[in-house]
Amino acid sequence: MASRPSLKPKPKGKGARKGSPPADEEQSKAAATMQFVKEWTTWTMKKSKVAAHYGFIPLIIVLGMTTEPKPTLFQLLSPV
Amino acid sequence: MGSAASAAAPPPPPPAQPQMAAPSYGLGLAGILPSKPEGDDKKEVEKVDYLNLPCPVPFEEIQREALMSLKPELFEGLRFDFTKGLNQKFSLSHSVFMGSLEVPSQSSETIKVPTAHYEFGANFLDPKLILVGRVMTDGRLNARVKCDLTDDLTLKINAQLTHEPHYSQGMFNFDYKGTDYRAQFQIGNNAFYGANYMQSVTPNLSMGTEIFWLGHQRKSGIGFASRYNTDKMVGTLQVASTGIVALSYVQKVSEKVSLASDFMYNHMSKDVTSSFGYDYMLRQCRLRGKIDSNGVVAAYLEERLNMGVNFLLSAELDHSKKNYKFGFGMTIGE
Repeated sequence: MASRPSLKPKPKGKGARKGSPPADEEQSKAAATMQFVKEWTTWTMKKSKVAAHYGFIPLIIVLGMTTEPKPTLFQLLSPV
Repeated sequence: MGSAASAAAPPPPPPAQPQMAAPSYGLGLAGILPSKPEGDDKKEVEKVDYLNLPCPVPFEEIQREALMSLKPELFEGLRFDFTKGLNQKFSLSHSVFMGSLEVPSQSSETIKVPTAHYEFGANFLDPKLILVGRVMTDGRLNARVKCDLTDDLTLKINAQLTHEPHYSQGMFNFDYKGTDYRAQFQIGNNAFYGANYMQSVTPNLSMGTEIFWLGHQRKSGIGFASRYNTDKMVGTLQVASTGIVALSYVQKVSEKVSLASDFMYNHMSKDVTSSFGYDYMLRQCRLRGKIDSNGVVAAYLEERLNMGVNFLLSAELDHSKKNYKFGFGMTIGE
């Protein structure tokens, strides 16, 4: 997955700034968190898009096959 | 429909006629939900109760009657739709199209691309939840969801998902329906945010505004709209800061006939278009025809051959661009 490797360098970036004063460190921590949240939401959106793409029609079919009166599998597949 | 009455004149209209527009489920489920009634119009001249006005039509549907009459789904080629109901709520649909699709082009020449596709769809229709999905052979999914979260709040999702990256689109709409107003908030991809609000001012007049903001292009816009309708006519006006002014007028001449006209002015491209059309809703067929100020003549016929079997004919003639589109098709099932 393309987004996974980009999360790994994060600790390195945070670790390199240990020498700076506390105010800067807080700012950089906030910026890093924002970055982390953004990347995480993008990863979630990508995964949910794939899930919706493949799963939407099966979801409708499953939902429809469970409502009363339950249609049979033959009725689902036959062209008549 | 299908009554054996052979009266020479159409039956007289009922005395207190509630306002019911035809449902916006065109062939192939073009709309997303049935239209809501617009409220009663009392025949006697009563004192208007301003605290008890009817709920207005949603903002995107103010031009609904004009669009139904003037913009039928014209197509070129063969179209075949088969809808199979398995249940009260659940149905499958198979749709075949073989013909040319027009690709919008910069030059004045129209580019037609011959295509053929098969589309499989499934619909789940519940009073509180409507799910409509259509998937094509190339993997494109067209999904619509309408969910009533509470009595007044509705969530609508409209998405086109493709396998190619960055080509998918989606839009979330939250609709709130108040006693005499409607508000809607939209979130779309590419950081699109929009909101609109519609308020009933008198029993016949409703006015509203909308604003939108496009994140990626840093564009924003604002628009105003108003709609005046009575039993017999509907007039709408829409002005937007993108430079578009649109007016429309629909007159219901009788139960079976209505006439519509529409005018659009685009300030940015200095483009003016006006069209005039008619809509005959007869027992066995529905015929819509229109003529445009660009010299385009179009007609669309839906003939009911039998219960649930419809035959379609579509024609569009553009002599100035030498673009002639003729299509025929069949729709089986609801």
